[in-house]
Amino acid sequence: MNPYLGGVLLGLVLILAFWVSGRGLGASGAVKSAVVAGVDLVAPGHAENTAYYKDYHESHPSPLKSWLVLEMLGVLVGGFLSGAIAGRLKFRVEKSPKITNKTRIIFAVIGGIFFGFGSQLGRGCTSGSALTGMAVLSLSGFLSMAAIFGTAFALAYFARKLWI
Amino acid sequence: MGPLVVNEIITENANLFLAFLIGIGFGFVLEVNGFSSSRRLAGMFYGYDTTVLKVFFTGAIVAAVGLLFMSLFNWIDLSYIYINPTYLWSSLGGGVIMGAGFILGGYCPGTSVCAASIGKLDAMAFLGGIVIGIFIFIEGFPMWEGFYNAKFLGSPLLSDIFGTSRGLITFLIILVALGMFWVGEWAEKHFARDDYKLNQK
Amino acid sequence: MKARLILAAIIIPLGMIIAAVPENTTKQFRLTANELLEEVKDGTQFLQPDEVADMLIQKDPTLQLIDVRDADQYEKFSLPNSINIPLVDILNPEWKEYINQDVKLNVFYSNGTKNANEAWMITRQLGFENNYVMLGGLNYWVETIMNPEKPASTSPDEEIAKYNFRKGAGAALGGAAVNTQPSTMKKSSKPPISKRKKKKKVQGGC
Repeated sequence: MNPYLGGVLLGLVLILAFWVSGRGLGASGAVKSAVVAGVDLVAPGHAENTAYYKDYHESHPSPLKSWLVLEMLGVLVGGFLSGAIAGRLKFRVEKSPKITNKTRIIFAVIGGIFFGFGSQLGRGCTSGSALTGMAVLSLSGFLSMAAIFGTAFALAYFARKLWI
Repeated sequence: MGPLVVNEIITENANLFLAFLIGIGFGFVLEVNGFSSSRRLAGMFYGYDTTVLKVFFTGAIVAAVGLLFMSLFNWIDLSYIYINPTYLWSSLGGGVIMGAGFILGGYCPGTSVCAASIGKLDAMAFLGGIVIGIFIFIEGFPMWEGFYNAKFLGSPLLSDIFGTSRGLITFLIILVALGMFWVGEWAEKHFARDDYKLNQK
Repeated sequence: MKARLILAAIIIPLGMIIAAVPENTTKQFRLTANELLEEVKDGTQFLQPDEVADMLIQKDPTLQLIDVRDADQYEKFSLPNSINIPLVDILNPEWKEYINQDVKLNVFYSNGTKNANEAWMITRQLGFENNYVMLGGLNYWVETIMNPEKPASTSPDEEIAKYNFRKGAGAALGGAAVNTQPSTMKKSSKPPISKRKKKKKVQGGC
Protein backbone atom coordinates (compact mmCIF):
# COMPACT_ATOMS: atom_id res chain seq x y z
CA MET A 1 0.00 0.00 0.00
CA ASN A 2 1.17 3.50 -0.66
CA PRO A 3 2.69 4.80 2.58
CA TYR A 4 0.81 8.10 2.47
CA LEU A 5 -2.51 6.36 2.01
CA GLY A 6 -1.50 4.03 4.82
CA GLY A 7 -0.69 7.04 6.99
CA VAL A 8 -4.10 8.56 6.33
CA LEU A 9 -5.72 5.29 7.40
CA LEU A 10 -3.58 5.23 10.54
CA GLY A 11 -4.69 8.79 11.28
CA LEU A 12 -8.34 7.79 10.85
CA VAL A 13 -7.95 4.87 13.27
CA LEU A 14 -6.38 7.25 15.75
CA ILE A 15 -9.23 9.75 15.37
CA LEU A 16 -11.72 6.94 15.86
CA ALA A 17 -10.01 5.98 19.11
CA PHE A 18 -10.26 9.55 20.32
CA TRP A 19 -13.86 9.89 19.27
CA VAL A 20 -14.95 6.67 20.92
CA SER A 21 -12.80 6.57 24.02
CA GLY A 22 -11.20 9.96 24.38
CA ARG A 23 -7.75 8.47 24.20
CA GLY A 24 -5.22 7.49 21.62
CA LEU A 25 -3.58 4.20 20.75
CA GLY A 26 -1.07 2.46 22.94
CA ALA A 27 0.91 -0.71 23.22
CA SER A 28 3.36 -1.05 26.08
CA GLY A 29 0.64 -0.48 28.70
CA ALA A 30 -0.97 -3.72 27.61
CA VAL A 31 2.28 -5.60 28.16
CA LYS A 32 2.54 -4.00 31.58
CA SER A 33 -0.95 -5.21 32.45
CA ALA A 34 0.11 -8.68 31.40
CA VAL A 35 3.27 -8.46 33.51
CA VAL A 36 1.30 -7.36 36.56
CA ALA A 37 -1.30 -10.08 36.01
CA GLY A 38 1.52 -12.60 35.65
CA VAL A 39 3.15 -11.54 38.90
CA ASP A 40 -0.23 -11.73 40.64
CA LEU A 41 -0.54 -15.29 39.46
CA VAL A 42 2.98 -16.50 40.19
CA ALA A 43 3.80 -14.57 43.34
CA PRO A 44 0.66 -13.06 44.87
CA GLY A 45 2.42 -12.38 48.15
CA HIS A 46 5.09 -10.35 46.44
CA ALA A 47 2.49 -8.33 44.54
CA GLU A 48 0.71 -7.51 47.79
CA ASN A 49 3.85 -6.29 49.48
CA THR A 50 5.24 -4.08 46.74
CA ALA A 51 4.01 -0.52 46.54
CA TYR A 52 4.08 -0.37 42.77
CA TYR A 53 1.73 -3.32 42.30
CA LYS A 54 -0.58 -2.01 44.99
CA ASP A 55 -0.83 1.37 43.31
CA TYR A 56 -1.39 -0.27 39.99
CA HIS A 57 -4.20 -2.40 41.34
CA GLU A 58 -5.85 0.63 42.83
CA SER A 59 -6.06 2.33 39.46
CA HIS A 60 -6.66 -0.90 37.51
CA PRO A 61 -8.95 -3.22 39.49
CA SER A 62 -8.60 -6.02 36.95
CA PRO A 63 -5.39 -5.56 35.00
CA LEU A 64 -6.36 -7.67 32.01
CA LYS A 65 -9.79 -6.14 31.49
CA SER A 66 -8.37 -2.88 30.26
CA TRP A 67 -8.72 -0.83 27.12
CA LEU A 68 -5.14 -1.33 26.04
CA VAL A 69 -5.16 -5.08 26.52
CA LEU A 70 -8.23 -5.45 24.33
CA GLU A 71 -6.82 -3.05 21.80
CA MET A 72 -3.60 -5.10 21.62
CA LEU A 73 -5.58 -8.32 21.20
CA GLY A 74 -7.21 -6.53 18.30
CA VAL A 75 -3.79 -5.70 16.87
CA LEU A 76 -2.91 -9.41 16.94
CA VAL A 77 -6.08 -10.22 15.02
CA GLY A 78 -5.75 -7.28 12.63
CA GLY A 79 -2.11 -8.00 11.86
CA PHE A 80 -2.90 -11.66 11.32
CA LEU A 81 -5.75 -10.82 8.93
CA SER A 82 -3.61 -8.49 6.87
CA GLY A 83 -0.76 -10.98 6.82
CA ALA A 84 -3.12 -13.77 5.77
CA ILE A 85 -4.60 -11.68 2.94
CA ALA A 86 -1.15 -10.77 1.64
CA GLY A 87 0.26 -14.25 2.15
CA ARG A 88 2.89 -13.20 4.65
CA LEU A 89 2.12 -15.73 7.38
CA LYS A 90 5.31 -17.63 8.04
CA PHE A 91 7.49 -18.42 11.03
CA ARG A 92 10.80 -16.81 10.27
CA VAL A 93 13.51 -14.50 11.54
CA GLU A 94 14.04 -11.31 9.64
CA LYS A 95 17.57 -9.97 9.61
CA SER A 96 20.41 -8.61 7.62
CA PRO A 97 22.09 -11.31 5.53
CA LYS A 98 25.35 -10.63 7.37
CA ILE A 99 24.34 -11.88 10.80
CA THR A 100 23.14 -15.20 12.13
CA ASN A 101 19.67 -15.89 13.44
CA LYS A 102 21.08 -16.28 16.91
CA THR A 103 22.66 -12.82 16.88
CA ARG A 104 19.44 -11.33 15.64
CA ILE A 105 17.37 -12.96 18.40
CA ILE A 106 19.82 -11.91 21.11
CA PHE A 107 19.74 -8.30 19.94
CA ALA A 108 15.95 -8.41 19.64
CA VAL A 109 15.72 -9.44 23.29
CA ILE A 110 18.18 -6.73 24.36
CA GLY A 111 16.28 -4.16 22.32
CA GLY A 112 13.04 -5.32 23.89
CA ILE A 113 14.45 -4.93 27.39
CA PHE A 114 15.53 -1.40 26.60
CA PHE A 115 12.23 -0.55 25.00
CA GLY A 116 10.18 -2.08 27.79
CA PHE A 117 12.11 -0.19 30.44
CA GLY A 118 12.14 3.06 28.49
CA SER A 119 8.44 2.94 27.73
CA GLN A 120 7.65 2.77 31.43
CA LEU A 121 10.07 5.53 32.32
CA GLY A 122 8.79 7.74 29.49
CA ARG A 123 5.12 6.95 30.23
CA GLY A 124 4.42 5.55 26.82
CA CYS A 125 6.00 4.08 23.75
CA THR A 126 6.04 5.16 20.13
CA SER A 127 2.28 4.61 19.83
CA GLY A 128 1.10 5.76 23.22
CA SER A 129 3.36 8.70 23.71
CA ALA A 130 4.87 9.79 20.41
CA LEU A 131 2.10 9.14 17.86
CA THR A 132 -0.86 9.87 20.12
CA GLY A 133 0.90 12.73 21.85
CA MET A 134 1.74 14.38 18.55
CA ALA A 135 -1.84 14.06 17.33
CA VAL A 136 -3.07 16.07 20.33
CA LEU A 137 -0.05 18.39 20.11
CA SER A 138 1.13 17.53 23.61
CA LEU A 139 4.62 18.63 24.54
CA SER A 140 5.51 15.21 25.92
CA GLY A 141 4.56 13.59 22.62
CA PHE A 142 7.03 15.72 20.71
CA LEU A 143 9.73 15.25 23.35
CA SER A 144 9.32 11.47 23.24
CA MET A 145 9.33 11.45 19.47
CA ALA A 146 12.46 13.58 19.27
CA ALA A 147 14.25 11.53 21.93
CA ILE A 148 13.34 8.14 20.43
CA PHE A 149 14.10 8.95 16.82
CA GLY A 150 17.05 11.17 17.65
CA THR A 151 18.74 8.48 19.71
CA ALA A 152 18.03 5.81 17.14
CA PHE A 153 19.56 7.97 14.42
CA ALA A 154 22.56 8.76 16.59
CA LEU A 155 23.20 5.09 17.34
CA ALA A 156 22.37 3.85 13.85
CA TYR A 157 26.01 3.93 12.77
CA PHE A 158 27.10 1.63 15.60
CA ALA A 159 24.34 -0.85 14.97
CA ARG A 160 24.69 -0.88 11.18
CA LYS A 161 25.96 -4.46 11.07
CA LEU A 162 22.60 -5.62 12.34
CA TRP A 163 20.67 -4.17 9.45
CA ILE A 164 22.77 -3.39 6.38
CA MET B 1 -21.01 14.28 20.99
CA GLY B 2 -17.64 12.64 21.32
CA PRO B 3 -15.78 11.20 23.10
CA LEU B 4 -18.59 8.68 23.29
CA VAL B 5 -17.58 6.99 26.51
CA VAL B 6 -17.11 10.26 28.38
CA ASN B 7 -20.55 11.47 27.42
CA GLU B 8 -21.97 8.09 28.41
CA ILE B 9 -23.35 7.42 24.97
CA ILE B 10 -21.79 4.00 25.18
CA THR B 11 -21.12 1.88 28.26
CA GLU B 12 -17.78 0.88 29.67
CA ASN B 13 -18.10 -2.62 28.26
CA ALA B 14 -19.01 -1.35 24.82
CA ASN B 15 -15.92 0.83 25.07
CA LEU B 16 -13.78 -2.25 25.69
CA PHE B 17 -15.37 -4.05 22.78
CA LEU B 18 -14.74 -1.08 20.53
CA ALA B 19 -11.15 -1.05 21.79
CA PHE B 20 -10.84 -4.51 20.32
CA LEU B 21 -12.22 -3.34 16.97
CA ILE B 22 -10.00 -0.27 16.99
CA GLY B 23 -7.09 -2.59 17.72
CA ILE B 24 -7.98 -4.69 14.70
CA GLY B 25 -7.92 -1.56 12.58
CA PHE B 26 -4.61 -0.50 14.10
CA GLY B 27 -3.02 -3.90 13.60
CA PHE B 28 -4.29 -4.15 10.05
CA VAL B 29 -3.00 -0.71 9.09
CA LEU B 30 0.39 -1.42 10.67
CA GLU B 31 0.77 -4.76 8.94
CA VAL B 32 -0.47 -3.64 5.56
CA ASN B 33 2.11 -0.84 5.64
CA GLY B 34 4.90 -3.26 6.40
CA PHE B 35 5.44 -2.28 10.03
CA SER B 36 5.76 -5.99 10.70
CA SER B 37 9.18 -5.94 9.08
CA SER B 38 12.06 -5.00 11.32
CA ARG B 39 14.35 -4.29 8.39
CA ARG B 40 11.83 -1.84 7.06
CA LEU B 41 11.49 -0.18 10.47
CA ALA B 42 15.25 0.04 10.85
CA GLY B 43 15.52 1.23 7.26
CA MET B 44 14.29 4.62 8.36
CA PHE B 45 17.52 5.17 10.28
CA TYR B 46 19.75 4.28 7.33
CA GLY B 47 17.62 5.98 4.72
CA TYR B 48 17.06 2.94 2.51
CA ASP B 49 13.37 2.69 3.39
CA THR B 50 11.52 5.61 4.94
CA THR B 51 8.04 4.13 4.72
CA VAL B 52 7.73 4.15 8.49
CA LEU B 53 8.54 7.83 8.68
CA LYS B 54 5.91 8.60 6.06
CA VAL B 55 3.17 6.50 7.59
CA PHE B 56 3.90 7.64 11.12
CA PHE B 57 3.93 11.34 10.41
CA THR B 58 1.07 11.23 7.92
CA GLY B 59 -0.95 9.49 10.63
CA ALA B 60 -0.03 12.14 13.18
CA ILE B 61 -0.86 15.14 10.98
CA VAL B 62 -4.09 13.61 9.67
CA ALA B 63 -5.20 12.91 13.23
CA ALA B 64 -4.19 16.37 14.42
CA VAL B 65 -6.07 18.12 11.61
CA GLY B 66 -8.99 15.74 11.91
CA LEU B 67 -9.40 16.30 15.63
CA LEU B 68 -9.40 20.06 15.19
CA PHE B 69 -12.02 19.87 12.46
CA MET B 70 -14.17 17.55 14.53
CA SER B 71 -13.94 19.99 17.40
CA LEU B 72 -14.91 22.80 15.04
CA PHE B 73 -18.05 20.92 14.03
CA ASN B 74 -18.79 20.09 17.68
CA TRP B 75 -18.35 16.38 17.06
CA ILE B 76 -15.80 15.97 19.80
CA ASP B 77 -15.00 17.92 22.92
CA LEU B 78 -11.24 18.28 22.99
CA SER B 79 -11.26 19.22 26.65
CA TYR B 80 -12.17 15.64 27.49
CA ILE B 81 -9.49 13.80 25.60
CA TYR B 82 -6.44 12.45 27.30
CA ILE B 83 -3.34 14.60 27.03
CA ASN B 84 -0.10 12.94 28.04
CA PRO B 85 1.40 14.68 31.04
CA THR B 86 4.90 16.05 30.63
CA TYR B 87 7.61 15.02 33.07
CA LEU B 88 10.57 16.57 31.36
CA TRP B 89 13.43 14.32 32.47
CA SER B 90 11.66 11.01 32.36
CA SER B 91 10.14 11.82 28.94
CA LEU B 92 13.58 12.51 27.53
CA GLY B 93 15.37 9.76 29.45
CA GLY B 94 12.73 7.21 28.56
CA GLY B 95 12.87 8.33 24.94
CA VAL B 96 16.64 7.91 24.77
CA ILE B 97 16.43 4.40 26.21
CA MET B 98 13.61 3.54 23.79
CA GLY B 99 15.65 4.89 20.89
CA ALA B 100 18.50 2.55 21.82
CA GLY B 101 16.03 -0.31 22.04
CA PHE B 102 14.60 0.61 18.65
CA ILE B 103 17.88 0.46 16.77
CA LEU B 104 19.04 -2.73 18.52
CA GLY B 105 15.75 -4.59 18.40
CA GLY B 106 14.25 -3.19 15.25
CA TYR B 107 10.72 -2.92 16.61
CA CYS B 108 8.65 -0.86 18.96
CA PRO B 109 6.03 -2.47 21.19
CA GLY B 110 3.05 -1.98 18.88
CA THR B 111 4.84 -3.15 15.77
CA SER B 112 6.37 -6.14 17.55
CA VAL B 113 2.89 -7.39 18.49
CA CYS B 114 1.83 -6.87 14.90
CA ALA B 115 4.90 -8.71 13.56
CA ALA B 116 4.49 -11.52 16.08
CA SER B 117 0.97 -12.04 14.75
CA ILE B 118 2.33 -13.05 11.35
CA GLY B 119 4.96 -15.33 12.81
CA LYS B 120 8.13 -13.24 13.04
CA LEU B 121 10.28 -15.01 15.60
CA ASP B 122 12.49 -11.99 16.23
CA ALA B 123 9.36 -10.00 17.12
CA MET B 124 8.39 -12.63 19.66
CA ALA B 125 11.87 -12.41 21.16
CA PHE B 126 11.52 -8.63 21.26
CA LEU B 127 8.18 -8.96 23.07
CA GLY B 128 9.84 -11.23 25.59
CA GLY B 129 12.46 -8.54 26.06
CA ILE B 130 9.75 -5.94 26.69
CA VAL B 131 8.25 -8.14 29.39
CA ILE B 132 11.66 -8.40 31.07
CA GLY B 133 12.26 -4.65 30.72
CA ILE B 134 8.92 -3.75 32.27
CA PHE B 135 9.48 -6.26 35.05
CA ILE B 136 12.85 -4.69 35.84
CA PHE B 137 11.23 -1.26 35.86
CA ILE B 138 8.52 -2.33 38.28
CA GLU B 139 10.79 -4.24 40.61
CA GLY B 140 13.35 -1.48 40.80
CA PHE B 141 10.79 1.32 40.85
CA PRO B 142 11.92 2.87 44.17
CA MET B 143 15.36 3.41 42.62
CA TRP B 144 14.11 5.61 39.77
CA GLU B 145 10.96 6.95 41.35
CA GLY B 146 12.59 10.34 41.93
CA PHE B 147 13.73 10.64 38.34
CA TYR B 148 10.37 9.32 37.11
CA ASN B 149 8.46 12.12 38.82
CA ALA B 150 10.98 14.93 38.40
CA LYS B 151 10.24 18.21 36.63
CA PHE B 152 6.51 17.79 36.21
CA LEU B 153 5.17 20.45 33.86
CA GLY B 154 1.49 19.55 33.79
CA SER B 155 -0.01 18.61 30.45
CA PRO B 156 1.02 21.46 28.22
CA LEU B 157 0.35 21.51 24.51
CA LEU B 158 2.89 22.73 22.02
CA SER B 159 0.53 25.60 21.26
CA ASP B 160 0.58 26.63 24.95
CA ILE B 161 4.36 26.69 24.91
CA PHE B 162 4.53 28.92 21.87
CA GLY B 163 1.49 30.94 22.91
CA THR B 164 -0.35 30.43 19.65
CA SER B 165 -3.39 28.54 18.42
CA ARG B 166 -3.57 24.80 17.91
CA GLY B 167 -4.50 25.37 14.29
CA LEU B 168 -1.39 27.35 13.49
CA ILE B 169 0.89 24.85 15.22
CA THR B 170 -0.77 22.03 13.31
CA PHE B 171 -0.23 23.86 10.05
CA LEU B 172 3.46 24.34 10.84
CA ILE B 173 3.81 20.67 11.75
CA ILE B 174 2.22 19.74 8.44
CA LEU B 175 4.84 21.79 6.62
CA VAL B 176 7.66 20.21 8.63
CA ALA B 177 6.27 16.73 7.97
CA LEU B 178 5.99 17.32 4.23
CA GLY B 179 9.57 18.57 4.24
CA MET B 180 10.65 15.36 5.97
CA PHE B 181 8.79 13.27 3.40
CA TRP B 182 10.68 15.02 0.66
CA VAL B 183 13.99 14.29 2.39
CA GLY B 184 12.85 10.70 2.95
CA GLU B 185 12.12 10.11 -0.73
CA TRP B 186 15.44 11.61 -1.64
CA ALA B 187 17.17 9.34 0.89
CA GLU B 188 15.46 6.23 -0.47
CA LYS B 189 17.12 6.87 -3.83
CA HIS B 190 20.42 7.95 -2.37
CA PHE B 191 20.83 5.09 0.13
CA ALA B 192 19.14 2.39 -1.93
CA ARG B 193 20.52 -1.09 -1.30
CA ASP B 194 21.05 -4.01 -3.62
CA ASP B 195 19.95 -6.58 -1.08
CA TYR B 196 16.82 -4.71 -0.11
CA LYS B 197 13.87 -3.99 -2.33
CA LEU B 198 11.28 -1.38 -1.41
CA ASN B 199 7.86 -2.82 -0.65
CA GLN B 200 9.29 -6.28 -0.34
CA LYS B 201 7.10 -9.04 0.91
CA MET C 1 6.41 10.71 -5.40
CA LYS C 2 3.01 11.57 -6.81
CA ALA C 3 1.21 10.44 -3.69
CA ARG C 4 3.18 12.94 -1.66
CA LEU C 5 1.97 15.75 -3.87
CA ILE C 6 -1.63 14.57 -3.61
CA LEU C 7 -1.30 14.42 0.16
CA ALA C 8 0.23 17.89 0.20
CA ALA C 9 -2.50 19.25 -2.07
CA ILE C 10 -5.16 18.05 0.36
CA ILE C 11 -3.59 18.56 3.73
CA ILE C 12 -1.98 21.96 3.24
CA PRO C 13 -5.29 23.71 2.44
CA LEU C 14 -6.93 21.91 5.36
CA GLY C 15 -4.10 23.03 7.59
CA MET C 16 -4.47 26.59 6.38
CA ILE C 17 -8.20 26.54 7.09
CA ILE C 18 -7.69 25.16 10.58
CA ALA C 19 -4.96 27.70 11.25
CA ALA C 20 -7.24 30.53 10.13
CA VAL C 21 -10.47 29.69 11.93
CA PRO C 22 -10.77 30.51 15.59
CA GLU C 23 -10.59 27.60 17.94
CA ASN C 24 -13.83 26.10 19.10
CA THR C 25 -13.85 26.60 22.81
CA THR C 26 -17.54 26.14 23.49
CA LYS C 27 -18.06 23.41 25.96
CA GLN C 28 -20.80 21.02 25.15
CA PHE C 29 -21.62 20.37 28.72
CA ARG C 30 -24.38 18.02 29.48
CA LEU C 31 -25.12 16.53 32.83
CA THR C 32 -27.21 13.42 32.63
CA ALA C 33 -30.32 13.31 34.79
CA ASN C 34 -28.63 10.63 36.86
CA GLU C 35 -25.54 12.69 37.51
CA LEU C 36 -27.65 15.64 38.57
CA LEU C 37 -29.66 13.41 40.86
CA GLU C 38 -26.46 12.10 42.42
CA GLU C 39 -25.30 15.62 43.17
CA VAL C 40 -28.69 16.62 44.56
CA LYS C 41 -28.68 13.53 46.75
CA ASP C 42 -25.20 14.24 48.02
CA GLY C 43 -26.20 17.80 48.82
CA THR C 44 -22.67 18.99 48.20
CA GLN C 45 -24.07 22.27 46.94
CA PHE C 46 -25.26 23.30 50.39
CA LEU C 47 -23.38 25.58 52.74
CA GLN C 48 -24.47 26.07 56.32
CA PRO C 49 -25.36 29.65 57.32
CA ASP C 50 -22.57 29.42 59.88
CA GLU C 51 -20.03 28.85 57.13
CA VAL C 52 -21.39 31.78 55.15
CA ALA C 53 -21.36 34.02 58.24
CA ASP C 54 -17.81 33.03 58.98
CA MET C 55 -16.68 33.94 55.49
CA LEU C 56 -18.54 37.23 55.65
CA ILE C 57 -16.91 38.18 58.91
CA GLN C 58 -13.49 37.24 57.68
CA LYS C 59 -14.19 39.29 54.58
CA ASP C 60 -13.27 36.33 52.45
CA PRO C 61 -12.69 37.90 49.03
CA THR C 62 -13.79 34.76 47.23
CA LEU C 63 -17.30 34.88 48.62
CA GLN C 64 -19.99 36.22 46.33
CA LEU C 65 -23.50 36.19 47.77
CA ILE C 66 -26.25 36.17 45.19
CA ASP C 67 -29.80 37.04 46.17
CA VAL C 68 -32.21 35.24 43.86
CA ARG C 69 -35.36 36.89 45.24
CA ASP C 70 -37.00 39.67 43.28
CA ALA C 71 -35.73 43.23 43.40
CA ASP C 72 -38.35 44.50 45.91
CA GLN C 73 -37.41 42.02 48.53
CA TYR C 74 -33.75 42.61 47.87
CA GLU C 75 -34.25 46.35 48.47
CA LYS C 76 -35.88 45.71 51.82
CA PHE C 77 -33.31 43.35 53.19
CA SER C 78 -30.24 41.64 51.88
CA LEU C 79 -27.03 40.23 53.18
CA PRO C 80 -23.93 42.42 53.09
CA ASN C 81 -22.16 42.62 49.74
CA SER C 82 -24.71 40.52 47.96
CA ILE C 83 -25.84 41.12 44.41
CA ASN C 84 -29.35 40.60 43.14
CA ILE C 85 -30.02 38.14 40.34
CA PRO C 86 -33.74 37.31 40.45
CA LEU C 87 -34.39 33.67 39.65
CA VAL C 88 -36.64 34.50 36.68
CA ASP C 89 -33.83 36.50 35.19
CA ILE C 90 -31.02 34.05 35.77
CA LEU C 91 -30.57 33.05 32.13
CA ASN C 92 -30.09 36.64 31.09
CA PRO C 93 -26.66 36.75 29.39
CA GLU C 94 -25.91 39.84 31.44
CA TRP C 95 -25.35 37.65 34.50
CA LYS C 96 -23.33 35.00 32.84
CA GLU C 97 -20.00 36.39 33.91
CA TYR C 98 -21.15 36.22 37.52
CA ILE C 99 -22.51 32.69 37.56
CA ASN C 100 -20.08 31.07 35.17
CA GLN C 101 -16.61 31.71 36.53
CA ASP C 102 -13.99 29.88 38.52
CA VAL C 103 -12.62 32.58 40.75
CA LYS C 104 -15.31 33.25 43.29
CA LEU C 105 -17.45 31.06 45.40
CA ASN C 106 -21.03 31.95 44.57
CA VAL C 107 -23.65 31.37 47.23
CA PHE C 108 -27.28 31.63 46.18
CA TYR C 109 -29.82 32.49 48.82
CA SER C 110 -33.55 33.14 48.93
CA ASN C 111 -36.07 33.20 51.74
CA GLY C 112 -36.09 29.44 52.05
CA THR C 113 -33.90 26.90 50.34
CA LYS C 114 -36.13 26.20 47.39
CA ASN C 115 -35.57 29.11 45.02
CA ALA C 116 -31.86 29.23 45.64
CA ASN C 117 -31.62 25.54 44.98
CA GLU C 118 -33.53 25.96 41.72
CA ALA C 119 -31.02 28.58 40.67
CA TRP C 120 -28.24 26.15 41.48
CA MET C 121 -29.87 23.34 39.48
CA ILE C 122 -30.15 25.57 36.43
CA THR C 123 -26.56 26.73 36.58
CA ARG C 124 -25.34 23.23 37.31
CA GLN C 125 -27.14 21.85 34.29
CA LEU C 126 -25.40 24.49 32.23
CA GLY C 127 -22.15 23.09 33.51
CA PHE C 128 -21.15 26.03 35.66
CA GLU C 129 -19.01 25.36 38.68
CA ASN C 130 -18.44 27.08 41.99
CA ASN C 131 -22.08 27.78 42.71
CA TYR C 132 -23.51 26.88 46.09
CA VAL C 133 -26.72 27.27 48.06
CA MET C 134 -27.12 28.63 51.56
CA LEU C 135 -29.09 26.01 53.40
CA GLY C 136 -32.32 27.24 54.95
CA GLY C 137 -32.12 30.62 53.30
CA LEU C 138 -32.75 33.91 55.03
CA ASN C 139 -35.39 32.48 57.34
CA TYR C 140 -32.92 30.11 58.85
CA TRP C 141 -30.24 32.80 58.78
CA VAL C 142 -32.32 35.17 60.88
CA GLU C 143 -33.25 32.37 63.21
CA THR C 144 -29.74 31.10 63.82
CA ILE C 145 -27.36 33.95 63.20
CA MET C 146 -29.39 36.97 64.15
CA ASN C 147 -31.33 35.51 67.05
CA PRO C 148 -29.50 32.45 68.19
CA GLU C 149 -31.16 30.42 70.86
CA LYS C 150 -29.07 30.04 73.93
CA PRO C 151 -28.39 26.39 74.58
CA ALA C 152 -28.91 24.91 78.01
CA SER C 153 -25.80 25.16 80.11
CA THR C 154 -25.64 21.39 80.17
CA SER C 155 -25.23 21.26 76.40
CA PRO C 156 -22.04 19.91 74.94
CA ASP C 157 -19.22 22.37 74.45
CA GLU C 158 -19.66 22.51 70.69
CA GLU C 159 -23.19 23.72 71.09
CA ILE C 160 -22.05 26.53 73.33
CA ALA C 161 -19.19 27.43 71.06
CA LYS C 162 -21.58 27.51 68.13
CA TYR C 163 -23.93 29.76 70.08
CA ASN C 164 -21.13 32.14 70.96
CA PHE C 165 -20.03 32.23 67.37
CA ARG C 166 -23.52 32.96 66.15
CA LYS C 167 -24.02 35.68 68.71
CA GLY C 168 -20.75 37.29 67.73
CA ALA C 169 -21.49 36.91 64.06
CA GLY C 170 -24.96 38.32 64.46
CA ALA C 171 -23.54 41.33 66.23
CA ALA C 172 -20.84 41.84 63.68
CA LEU C 173 -23.34 41.58 60.87
CA GLY C 174 -25.76 44.04 62.37
CA GLY C 175 -28.10 41.91 64.40
CA ALA C 176 -29.26 42.57 67.95
CA ALA C 177 -26.42 44.15 69.86
CA VAL C 178 -25.39 41.76 72.54
CA ASN C 179 -22.48 41.95 74.87
CA THR C 180 -20.21 39.46 73.30
CA GLN C 181 -18.31 37.22 75.57
CA PRO C 182 -14.69 36.72 74.67
CA SER C 183 -15.72 35.01 71.54
CA THR C 184 -14.42 31.54 70.99
CA MET C 185 -15.07 32.02 67.37
CA LYS C 186 -14.30 28.76 65.81
CA LYS C 187 -12.41 28.86 62.62
CA SER C 188 -14.67 26.81 60.54
CA SER C 189 -12.83 24.94 57.95
CA LYS C 190 -13.15 26.44 54.54
CA PRO C 191 -16.11 25.25 52.60
CA PRO C 192 -15.16 22.78 49.98
CA ILE C 193 -14.26 24.51 46.76
CA SER C 194 -12.85 21.23 45.63
CA LYS C 195 -13.70 20.45 42.07
CA ARG C 196 -16.45 17.97 41.82
CA LYS C 197 -15.98 14.85 39.88
CA LYS C 198 -16.06 15.90 36.28
CA LYS C 199 -17.82 13.31 34.23
CA LYS C 200 -15.75 10.26 33.62
CA LYS C 201 -12.04 10.40 33.80
CA VAL C 202 -10.31 9.51 30.60
CA GLN C 203 -7.36 7.29 31.12
CA GLY C 204 -4.64 6.98 28.62
CA GLY C 205 -1.03 6.53 27.87
CA CYS C 206 0.86 3.36 27.59
